Order: sequence, then C-alpha cells, then structure tokens
Amino acid sequence: MRQAIAAAMARSKREIPHYYLSADLDAGPATWWLEHENAKRGPPERILFAALLLKATALAAREVPEVNGFFVDGSFRPSAPIHLGVAISLRQGGLIAPAVHDVDRSSLAEVQASLRDLVARVRSGRLRSSEMSDATLTVTNLGDQGVQSVFGVIYPPQVALVGFGKVTERAWASAGMVGARSVVTATLSADHRVSDGHRGAIFLSAIGRLLQQPEKL
Amino acid sequence: MNQTEIKSAVVAALKSVAPESDPASISEAAPLRDTLDLDSMDFLNFVIALHAALQVDIPEADYGKVRTLNDAVSYIERKLGTP
Repeated sequence: MRQAIAAAMARSKREIPHYYLSADLDAGPATWWLEHENAKRGPPERILFAALLLKATALAAREVPEVNGFFVDGSFRPSAPIHLGVAISLRQGGLIAPAVHDVDRSSLAEVQASLRDLVARVRSGRLRSSEMSDATLTVTNLGDQGVQSVFGVIYPPQVALVGFGKVTERAWASAGMVGARSVVTATLSADHRVSDGHRGAIFLSAIGRLLQQPEKL
Repeated sequence: MNQTEIKSAVVAALKSVAPESDPASISEAAPLRDTLDLDSMDFLNFVIALHAALQVDIPEADYGKVRTLNDAVSYIERKLGTP
C-alpha cells in the first residue's frame, strides 16, 4: 500500500506542474442550515458537512471543467461525468480514494448515502474495483483531524485535487466590523498544463458561492 | 434492558464501524473517537447502528454526551428510561 502511494505520488510530482490556491469560505449559512435540518432528521437521514462540500465541489467543477478529467498522452481529456474521489484514510495505514459517482446530478441525500455506504465498505473491505479507478477529481477532507488547510498531491492522470480543512469560528472583518464567523479553508492543487490560477480561483470562489445557499445543493 | 446488555450493544455498534479494533477492551473512560480513530462518518454510522439495535435516537446536539463508553451506556440507559 505504501509503495503504491509512493509510486503514484512520485510520478505526480515528477510529471505534473502543480500550482496551489487557498480560499477562506464563509461556512456560516451551510452550518446553520445543516444543524437545523439534522435536528429534524433521525440518524439514518442525517447529512454530514462533507456531503455539502462534495456537492458544491461537483457543481463548481461543472462551471470550471478544466479541473475535472484526465491528462493522457500529452493532452487534457475533460470528463462529462463528475465522479469525485474521496480520500479515506485506513486505520491500518495508508489511504484510498474511491469514487462517489455523478455527484453533480445527485441530490444531497443521495450524495450522503453514497458517501456513508463507501466509508462503511472501506472499513469492512468490501469495495468494488471499479470504484477505485474511475474518479475524475479527488477531494480530501482533513477537517476531522483539526487541520486548517491541506495542499494535496494530484492523483494522476487526474488534473486537480480539492482540499478542505476544519470548520472553525474565526474573527472575520466585514464592512468595517469584526465578528465571529464559521469559516472553512478550501484549497486547490491543479495542473498547470491544463489550467491556471485565474480559472482555479474562479473554481474555488464558485464553491464558496454555492455554499451560501445550502438549501439549493 | 440492563446495563450489561446496553454495553454489549454499544460495543457491537463500535465493532461494526471499526472492525479491526477490539472495542470491548478499551477503557470505559477513554474518548471513543480518538481511541478508535473514528471520523465524522464512522461516528454517524455508530449512532445509526445504535438506533437500529436499540431504537434510541441520539440527536447531534447530544453527541458530546456519548464521548466515552461509560457516557454512552449511561446516556442510553436514561434515554430508554431504565434505571
């Protein structure tokens, strides 16, 4: 497992000219909405913040298709389907990133159900091989570990990786006033052969915008 | 349902989300999430497993009350109304 990760990551760092961006996104509306929604739901119907982040990421990838697809034989092949690889760490060491399929076309409840099912099957060792290989863009969420931001290494032949840190209350200045606000730091590692910082910035800002209307996700 | 039965249901729920661990052997006062390395989804799956096994609903607002094995057993006892 460690050798496979090492081989893929070494290849990525050797071949992909990475660039990195980071943006602090207002997570307030999404956090409140989720608290309110989950209070009405029994445990099996509850939704995690991670599902909101996946859905927002997929919809943003529709707007900026340069982050979704593969770099093969010297050229970029965009992918119409948006299958998000979700990095899941294994307790015995290592990590895998199986895909949640068609996230942009799924309801939030469906994304949550797929993610929950995926984590449960990773834990019990019942993944299908197709799920391991067909992600078009990977998302890593290290918020549970208290990390503020993660700048990941792209998993080739994909061309981007999105990272999310922990949702924290931070001092936030707005209109000359400082207040406390829930904030999540989103990062993008992307392939300069395919996109540039300007498009990457539009992508991160789209995620931030989509998170402001969680009821529409 | 007595305390021993509740405890074994909690241990079984933990085992279902962390199959490689031995939840029966962890200290009753140890924080579950850190000790068993449970992420948010594992913890939700734990709450769902308890809901299925004991018909007990632990709202998100109460997650802080089930941090350890001991806490979880006493919380469920109160919830089920058995002394």
